Amino acid sequence: MNINKYPEIKSGSKLIKKIYVAVMLWIVGRAIQAASRVDREVKEEFNRLSDDFMMHLHVLPSGPGMIVGKDKNGKVKYMGWNPKGKKITLDMKVKNIEGAMLMFTFQESTCVASANNRLAVSGNVPDTMAFIRILNIVETYLLPKFITSLAVKRYPKWSQMSPLRKYTGRVLVYVRTFTF
Amino acid sequence: MQIPGYYEFCNKVRTVSGHNALDKLPEMLASVKSVKPMIITDKGVNGAGLIEPVKKALGAKVKAGGLYDDVPADSDVKTVKDIAAKYRAAGCDSIIAVGGGSVLDTAKGVNILVSENSDNLMNFVGFGALKRRLKPLIAVPTTSGTGSEMTLVAVIADHERDVKMLFPSLFLLPDFAVLDSRMTKTLPASITAATGMDAMTHACEAYTCLSKNPLSDTTAVMAIKLISENILQAVKKPGDMQARLALANASALAGMSFSNSMVGMVHGLGHSVGAICHVPHGVCMSIFLPYGLEYNLHKTGHLTAELLFPVKGVEAYNNAKPEDRPLLTIAAIRELNAELRKATGGKHPTCLKEIVDRNGNMMVPREVLPDIARLSLDDGTLVYNPEDLDYDDALMVLEKAWEGEPLDRRKIRKGKKTSLIKVKG
Repeated sequence: MNINKYPEIKSGSKLIKKIYVAVMLWIVGRAIQAASRVDREVKEEFNRLSDDFMMHLHVLPSGPGMIVGKDKNGKVKYMGWNPKGKKITLDMKVKNIEGAMLMFTFQESTCVASANNRLAVSGNVPDTMAFIRILNIVETYLLPKFITSLAVKRYPKWSQMSPLRKYTGRVLVYVRTFTF
Repeated sequence: MQIPGYYEFCNKVRTVSGHNALDKLPEMLASVKSVKPMIITDKGVNGAGLIEPVKKALGAKVKAGGLYDDVPADSDVKTVKDIAAKYRAAGCDSIIAVGGGSVLDTAKGVNILVSENSDNLMNFVGFGALKRRLKPLIAVPTTSGTGSEMTLVAVIADHERDVKMLFPSLFLLPDFAVLDSRMTKTLPASITAATGMDAMTHACEAYTCLSKNPLSDTTAVMAIKLISENILQAVKKPGDMQARLALANASALAGMSFSNSMVGMVHGLGHSVGAICHVPHGVCMSIFLPYGLEYNLHKTGHLTAELLFPVKGVEAYNNAKPEDRPLLTIAAIRELNAELRKATGGKHPTCLKEIVDRNGNMMVPREVLPDIARLSLDDGTLVYNPEDLDYDDALMVLEKAWEGEPLDRRKIRKGKKTSLIKVKG
């Protein structure tokens, strides 16, 4: 069987959905960078990751996507959407745009998306777990409680995240996300 | 019953079960056009004389291309490479893996290298790395616990880098699983108990964790029923071949189930105890299982309630009020562990502080619990656990499991309650 005789069937354009997911990925990517400067827990999670950590979260077959990783100085940065020339250490693929919509309209958490076979991950398991924890914290900063509660298994209790930390962090993350 | 919006289930292992199932080996090999299989096993299995029935079954019709019996307790890359070299040198064309989880996983690793004609296992880590069918693999389990004969994954350690690598692929499913009661007859009582509870954990977590589906549920329930009905008998009367065969089937069913639905925090905690304190996996599973179910009750109480039926039988299920069933299920599992401890003369621990090595030394000192809690957070199984688990949660569960006390459910930090029944307490 010659596999080349059977070209990959690409999904329809679904332009609006792709634009929505692209915008969300941009915001989340920038917010991760911001949270790595603002939040102690996110900082510690990134410190434990290797110096060449580079995560590519993207939608199959043709995007959109986002890359977050450490630069030469060890600083966490949002590095755009194009993986060309970058050494990806953690590749998280959402299998299709519909799955991505469920995730980014917060109908499904990252864990539920994994459980429902919507995500394929290549890379180190501890890195994946760390990134999921980071994502959960960032979502708590970005979104109001009633939406975040849909996106995480357990909304942080006071003992895990005090209101002071939450609201100060939220303001700082928003400011850093939308300013250059 | 809740049907997932989307799920995948695959099991294409031809299963042969019976008191003399091994006799079918020549037919199996002929069906895959193999004339020179390599037997892979470990010293314990070979020393127990379990390779003899395999050789006898092969008879004069098939000549084994080689026997490798030096698989260590933890399958590792170096062993896999050694065996692959021997396989190639002998010109073998299939693998018969006879042993427990480590042997079966090692054989899967060997199969990757010899089928892909490679020397570097690293090229095949992660989903989608294997693209084509591998050489024929026949799995003959000699413990009733890992279910590796039915799973699509191999876990192989790289001791030089101190990491465990995961090889998940549908191509790693063995072609045949041979469940022969003779192969587990000589298993010591304590190992029968621990491995049986390992299979029980696979099934219970498959039934209650996030990736459950109707097909995995079906196999999980049957596995739990078979284990509940037969494990004590197999421990008390090792020569009871019916009980042995039932446990072998249960282990395979549980393997089929969790291979298609994953497991949760019980495995997450257990893997870390195993990694830090070198406690056998089955022992960790039997201790943590009731804690895992208890911790998730506010999310999956209704599912734990349903497990009372396969664990205790129809009468106990019918006699219990729905809101009592989840706690009765957990109590029944604790009771089973206690009975196994009695039946093994104290060799089956029911809490972490009871685990001792051959010299009677405690294997899990209380001081290492924080390290275990920290390591658990990096375990991929936590993704599939219904409730979130952070460092404090993990430490709380570990401390209770160390003492052998039930969890104080008021102290569990709960996310959104999704249990369809209100659990008492």
